[in-house]
Amino acid sequence: QGVTKWRMQALWGGGTTPQLYEEKFCARVAELTGGTLEITPFAGGQIVPAAQAFDAVRGGAFEMMKTFDGYTAGKIPAHGFSSTVPFGFPEADQYEAWFYERDGLELARESYAPAGLTYVAPTVYGEEPIHSRVPIKTIADLNGLKGRFVGLASAVMADFGVSVSPLPTSEVYSALDKGLVDIADRGDIKANYEEGLHEVAKFLVLPGFHQPSTATSYVANTRAYDALDDQQKAALAVAAREISGSLRQNILVANGEYIAKFRDAGVEIVDLDPQDVADNRAKAIDSWKKAASDDLSTRMMESQVALMQEMRLL
Amino acid sequence: MESSMILAFMFVSLVVFMLSGAGLAFVLGAIAFISTILLWGPSALIVAVLNTFETMTSESLMAIPLYVLMASILQKSAIIDALYDAMETWFARVNGGLAVGTIAICTILAAMTGVVGAAVAAMGILALPSMLKRGYYPPLALGAICAGGTLGILIPPSVVTIVYAITAQISIGKMFAAGIVPGLILAGSYIAYILVRTRLNPALAPKPDDIAEVPLREKLAKTKALILPAFVVVGVLGSIYAGIATPTEAAAVGVLGAAASSLVTRKFSLSMLSESATDTLRVTAMILWITIGARAFISTFVATGGADSLLSFVETLEASRWLILGAMVLILIFLGLFLDEIGIILLCVPVFLPIVAALDFDPLWFGVLFMITAQMAYITPPFGYTLFYLKGVLPEGIGIGQVYRGVIPFFLIQVAVLILFALFPGLVTWLPEALTANAR
Amino acid sequence: MLTLSRGVTAVNRALFSAAKWLVYAIVLLMLWEVLSRYALAAPTSWAPELATLFFGPFFLLGGPYLLHIGGHVAVDIVSAKATGGAARALRLVGLVLAAAFGAILLWFSAPLVWQSFSYGETSYSAWNPVVWPAKAFLPLAAALLLLQALADMVTTLAGAEAA
Ligand code: NA
Ligand code: NA
Repeated sequence: QGVTKWRMQALWGGGTTPQLYEEKFCARVAELTGGTLEITPFAGGQIVPAAQAFDAVRGGAFEMMKTFDGYTAGKIPAHGFSSTVPFGFPEADQYEAWFYERDGLELARESYAPAGLTYVAPTVYGEEPIHSRVPIKTIADLNGLKGRFVGLASAVMADFGVSVSPLPTSEVYSALDKGLVDIADRGDIKANYEEGLHEVAKFLVLPGFHQPSTATSYVANTRAYDALDDQQKAALAVAAREISGSLRQNILVANGEYIAKFRDAGVEIVDLDPQDVADNRAKAIDSWKKAASDDLSTRMMESQVALMQEMRLL
Repeated sequence: MESSMILAFMFVSLVVFMLSGAGLAFVLGAIAFISTILLWGPSALIVAVLNTFETMTSESLMAIPLYVLMASILQKSAIIDALYDAMETWFARVNGGLAVGTIAICTILAAMTGVVGAAVAAMGILALPSMLKRGYYPPLALGAICAGGTLGILIPPSVVTIVYAITAQISIGKMFAAGIVPGLILAGSYIAYILVRTRLNPALAPKPDDIAEVPLREKLAKTKALILPAFVVVGVLGSIYAGIATPTEAAAVGVLGAAASSLVTRKFSLSMLSESATDTLRVTAMILWITIGARAFISTFVATGGADSLLSFVETLEASRWLILGAMVLILIFLGLFLDEIGIILLCVPVFLPIVAALDFDPLWFGVLFMITAQMAYITPPFGYTLFYLKGVLPEGIGIGQVYRGVIPFFLIQVAVLILFALFPGLVTWLPEALTANAR
Repeated sequence: MLTLSRGVTAVNRALFSAAKWLVYAIVLLMLWEVLSRYALAAPTSWAPELATLFFGPFFLLGGPYLLHIGGHVAVDIVSAKATGGAARALRLVGLVLAAAFGAILLWFSAPLVWQSFSYGETSYSAWNPVVWPAKAFLPLAAALLLLQALADMVTTLAGAEAA
């Protein structure tokens, strides 16, 4: 029996915690398939820049990627809703439920299929924080600030009165340090501490309403995926769902640990009133509607809105 | 094919094709394409295109043309001539004064720019003609520019430092602070070398015929030449450190300052702007087409497993921590002969840092050692970026061989300084620690 | 053939001369961004992004003419010593590599640009412009590089016959 060898590029830096989970994913797939599917993991940017992985997998340069759908939201508007939604599901579990208990997974598959790509499964985890140089007590305080956000969040924050600069990730530290921007998002709480954002922003705002929950995705080249046997396909799905749970729990625990480190470093943790966030969620729907510019993205948004209403989030 | 075979194949063909005299961009690209087809599959050729799309919209790389343009306008404004004139007046009685001044100016440029290519190309345009006109031994002048130009890697701001810090998950602020003292020590060592060498052999750096002591009043008068450059430097540095602009935007501020200076010296004209744009596009296109080829090369190298064999070698060593550290540094220097530093960071840092941590070394300190090996990589043939940047602005009659000869002593200084910092980590770590202590 | 070859060179020279002015557009856009953020406290969403869209065409269009004038970095230790037929052979090696590089870039980038166009791909930033016009400069520059390499081959071979 032959061994199928795949390459997978993820979007994380080499040696980071989430990249270790991608290595675990590959090991788990090998284990579940009795070694018939060997996936070699690569860190983000090792083969192509993370945002270009879509076309690389499509063209068959490597068989699989761990991507963030937001990178391709400019091509496929639905990807704005299958990656992260500003003021969207406040709990990662709710967002993951949309994928598995509602039609999220099917819609995501539909978004990739025309490109010759197969959406395998999401990895869903919780909020990313907002770092601020100025005290923010309510969402209304955003009005008139200068901020750094990317993707759909940049449009939504602009709708809330923020002057958004699309600075690259590598500029966030110095932009906050120098006061180029008042508020910024970057990565998760642990990664931002390790970047040293506690040195340059005295306030850490929670929940990160610009990115309350996040989905990254395992996506395979359809031709390569179709060549797998049923056991191998099942192994991908099982391993992906395991990683989603285990990475989310890892981040959950690390968040608590690193919030304490931020506090020890003299950063004030600002907890926004959940009612304030909920009230503004209704307002954010207008921004969502603007971003849902085609049939699929509209269906995706409406499906999420319907679930949020049932969960009494709207 | 064995991954060690891949490694051998790629580097042997690199050397062979490079010796044919073909453009490096095309050699790297073509070898990447051949290896891709043989070892990876033709569909993977798309990777080169995707890397290029990313290069095309890089805000950080965009700093290169802006810093080159700034330097070109300054040169055409006759400001630099005046600056060298002033420097000569001040350093007339110092052996090798202009080379010393070049290092000093490189240090200032290093504090303005985050991109080595821009600094070297700029100094090639600014400092080289002045030194050659005054009869300097070309290898000394060229070596000073290459070595001085790489100071920008250690002295903040620095694109390489940012990439290292992010990959190694170290605070960029601390990493920047860690580079300041080592950067200044390196600059000081270069100056000391030039002073000693030209004292021993004054023919290397002839002094003007008239070496009479210039009256202090005249010296002070010449110092006026410093005003406009200082104005530009303050514009760039000030806009970065006051939080007005990103490093790339600050380069645009520098261009504005240079243009304003050329108005003051009455050199501003449409044809001056046109010529500066020509210089800028020549240098920028050269650097970025190499970047396209190099990124294709590195992607193939990584994806086909060529990187693994080199790195697993270190991991399996069972030796003392210092020996392993030495091996890692040697591998960094070896890779630096062939690869660009961003590629080396992506290849090695994720593998090396766990080892560094396990051996109980400070990753901040290792980062500075890494930056020095990156500087070595920049000035060593066959694949030293500064050599190529400089080649783009070499005058008639000066060959790349003279550049090679010129960098040797500076390379040895880098080795010595590297050993110094390896033995005395405190030189590296006290400033970032002091700054952090103040912040608390 | 030689006329055609001179035509290609003339086109690339003209494009080089046109593209070089883009650097001033980049400078002005960056300055406008600094001014609007710092002095007017209202950063634009478009200026820095438009600058990066100019950056690709700027350096890409410079490449083909740079090949003609020998401005690309090369290790000339051997070729500087070669003369006559050997020098021409080495020059042809370089041109073949450049042509191959241009051809492969063209072959693989053109479909991607076409996809970007047919998706109506945007950058998904706050400004959100379509990105295919900027991307289209890669296949264009690759084609021009290929043509310039072929043109210089013609000139080199014609020089061999004349000699
Ligand atoms: Na620097
Ligand atoms: Na080198």
